Parts: sequence; C-alpha cells; structure tokens
Amino acid sequence: MAARILVSTRKGLFELRRVDGGWTVGATHFLGDNVALAMADPRDGAWYAALDLGHFGNKLHRSDDAGATWVECAVPAYGDGDTVGTGDGKPPQPAALKLIWSLEAGGADQPGRLWAGTIPGGLFRSDDRGDAWQLVRGLWDVPGRSDWFGGGYDWPGIHSICVDPRDARCIRVAISCGGVWRSDDDGTTWRQTADGMRAAYMPPERAHDPAIQDPHRMVQCAGAPDHFWVQHHNGVFHSEAGGGDWQEIEDVPPSAFGFAVAVHPRDPRTAWFVPAVKDERRYPVDARLVVARTRDGGASFQVLRQGLPAQDAYDLVYRHALAVDDAGNGLVFGSTTGGVWTSDDQGDRWRMLDARLPPVHAVAFTG
Amino acid sequence: MPKVVLASALARWLPGAQGASGEVSLDVSGATVGAVLDDLFARHAALRGYVLDEHGAVRHHVAVFVDGQAIVDKRRLDQPVAPGGEVYVMQALSGG
Repeated sequence: MAARILVSTRKGLFELRRVDGGWTVGATHFLGDNVALAMADPRDGAWYAALDLGHFGNKLHRSDDAGATWVECAVPAYGDGDTVGTGDGKPPQPAALKLIWSLEAGGADQPGRLWAGTIPGGLFRSDDRGDAWQLVRGLWDVPGRSDWFGGGYDWPGIHSICVDPRDARCIRVAISCGGVWRSDDDGTTWRQTADGMRAAYMPPERAHDPAIQDPHRMVQCAGAPDHFWVQHHNGVFHSEAGGGDWQEIEDVPPSAFGFAVAVHPRDPRTAWFVPAVKDERRYPVDARLVVARTRDGGASFQVLRQGLPAQDAYDLVYRHALAVDDAGNGLVFGSTTGGVWTSDDQGDRWRMLDARLPPVHAVAFTG
Repeated sequence: MPKVVLASALARWLPGAQGASGEVSLDVSGATVGAVLDDLFARHAALRGYVLDEHGAVRHHVAVFVDGQAIVDKRRLDQPVAPGGEVYVMQALSGG
C-alpha cells in the first residue's frame, strides 16, 4: 500500500500521508511556487519536481532524501536552429521551453535515464538523472511535425510517455495535438500509431488524420502492456495491440469528455475516468462530481459517486491529476478548485481530503 | 565597479538563500549589460536560466534596468554600463 501521495499544485508540492484509513497533508515543498508535476523514481527512490516559475522559466529539482533537501538539475533546452510551427496556421518561431509537461523514469536496466515531454512538442532524454538533457531528434525531425498544433496551449506538447515494462527501448508518447508515436529503438526512429482515432473538431476530411489527434492522456497497463487507454478530446479510445488499433468507446456516462484516465496495473479491462461537460464548458455534468469506471474493457461503465460532491461542484480534473496505486485498489484525484479525493476500494467509496489546496496539476502515489 | 541588484523574487533562488526574501546587491565587472550579466553568472551559474532563455535573450517576463532605464531590446545586451552604474534585474509585474 502506497505510503505517500505527491500533489503538485499551483502553489507548491504537498505530501499526503496516511492516517486512520484516510490521508492528511504532511510536508510541503516549494510553497508558493507553481509545481507542474512531481515524479518519484521507482528505481532509486529519487523525487523530481518540475517548477513553472513563470517569470524565471521552468526548473527541475531532485531530492534523494524524500523531500528533506532538493538540488536543482538542468532543464531541457532547445537549440538555436530549432523552430516550431503549427498546423493551425501559426507562423514558425524559435522553439523555447514553455513547460515540462511529463517526466518518466527509464527502464530498470537504464539507471539515470529520464524522459521529459515538453511544450512546444520536444521529447528530451537524460542519462544522468536530469543533470543534462538532449532533444530526441528522431521525433523532433519527423516529417509532418509542423502539422501538430496546440490543444489548450499555443504550442503542441507531449504529456504522456509510456516506457514499455518488457523492453525499455520501446517508448510511446501522446501529443496534444499530434497523435500517438512509438519508437522501438530507444527513441532513434518513430512511427505514428494513432490510427483508429477520430477528431470531431477537425474538418471531416481530416477527422481520421492520425497526426492531428488530441489524446488528452494515455496510460499503459503495466501487467498487460499491449493494452492502452486514451482519454481523447472527443472521446475514449482503447487499444489491445499496442496502439494503431484504437477503438472508440462512445457510451461513457455521464460524458465522454475529460482529461484524466487511469488503468488498473494488472487488469487491462479496468480503467477510470473523470468526465466533464464537453469541450467549451469543462465542469462536471450537472455540477455533480463523479468517476466513471469500466471493468470490462469499456463495454459498460459504473458511475461512482459515493463520497463525491453531489451538487454545486465545478471541479475539473486535469490529465495528470488522477492516479492508481501499484496494488490497483488505491485511487486519488485532485481538481482545479483544490479538492482531493481518495479511495481504497477501486472507487466504490471516496473520501475528501480535509484541506483546501491550490489548484491541482498532478498527483502521484509513492512508497 | 558596476553593481547588480537582484530583486527579491530572483534573489531567493540564489544558492544558500533558502527562499529568504530581500534584494541582493553585488559588485561586478563589465562595461555592457551582457558583460555584467556574464560576470554575475560566473559567480552564480544557476541564475543564467532564470534571467535568460535558452537562446540568450532576457526572459519575456524579466526586466533589466540600467541606471533606471529599461533595456529596449532583450536580445541585444551590448548596452553600455558606466563604471559606477547600476543594473537592476527584476520580474515584470504580475500576480495570481
């Protein structure tokens, strides 16, 4: 059972600790600063916190003592000749780091390896725990990158990185809005694997173009790594063959719109979503905060509400703000209005954290 | 010798500051904004990424004043600094 939850918020990193079957706020880090995400490396126990300081740019800090002390690492940086243009007509301009939007550990056989996904669309690799970063040219230079465009931000971004547990040289990334890409050779070469996705927001003749799909979040089942779930801009998609065979699941109650998805670590047919009114509005349907769960690969869903606000709730849950623990029973999600809810029984019952946190960007379980 | 003044929002990230607030003033060498900043970064390397972006321009939301006048082109740092001049580095104002 996970002992801690790291909650990254607009005003700091909050550590939740277990008490009496629930959770309480423990230590705080970077209080007052915008923490975009935090990652606990399962290989060596290091914690990483990505800060978006606004005026002073993005920073990355690392702790080897569970948050007692932090050291500042390097951040991904684009080169002088790197430009970013977009498929929605923005003129090309020099690429510069806007946001560290995802951070994942490499394989157990790749000590020190980290992957960072960024806005404006670059994937970066470190082999020394974040002390130096290299732009992954193989993906940055794919033909058609200039067709990508931003979803919610001005520029495209990589928010999901899945390192295959069977072979860490196999990496998949999901891009808003640039589809899903896969490398089988440690990032050297890449191919698009968003076939089957549908973009309702595009002109009809472009709706099935894989390069402009807007997956909001992609997760991989650790115990059945060919199974993926995507919460997409206009629906939920499921793959049972490692991507490229995406099946749209249309009947997600109360709405197929949302940002977050989590998949059970061993049962690939069990996944959770936090739906919202679609697209232009983005708050819970009927202002009732619920979680949608499937246990049968999307054939049916349960709407989970026990312990969640039944009225006047305008909490939106961002793409990194829902997580499941390694056991597959513990869940946590945090909202844009600073609410945090946890469950110990796969979402049947929820408990609200007794705290009013800043807006939540991301949550993560750790040991 | 010119002086660099770091606004408290920036100075708090100096090694050893541990989040403490308050301006920090340092005597530095250099006859241009770029040279003065280079001398600053030679002593506090980590500050470079706070003041400049990866292309060497002053960050969009960072303001640099020389003797009370804001530099006009954040990509050109050849503006002269007098021997007794003051270079003030601050965050553009915003909140939330």
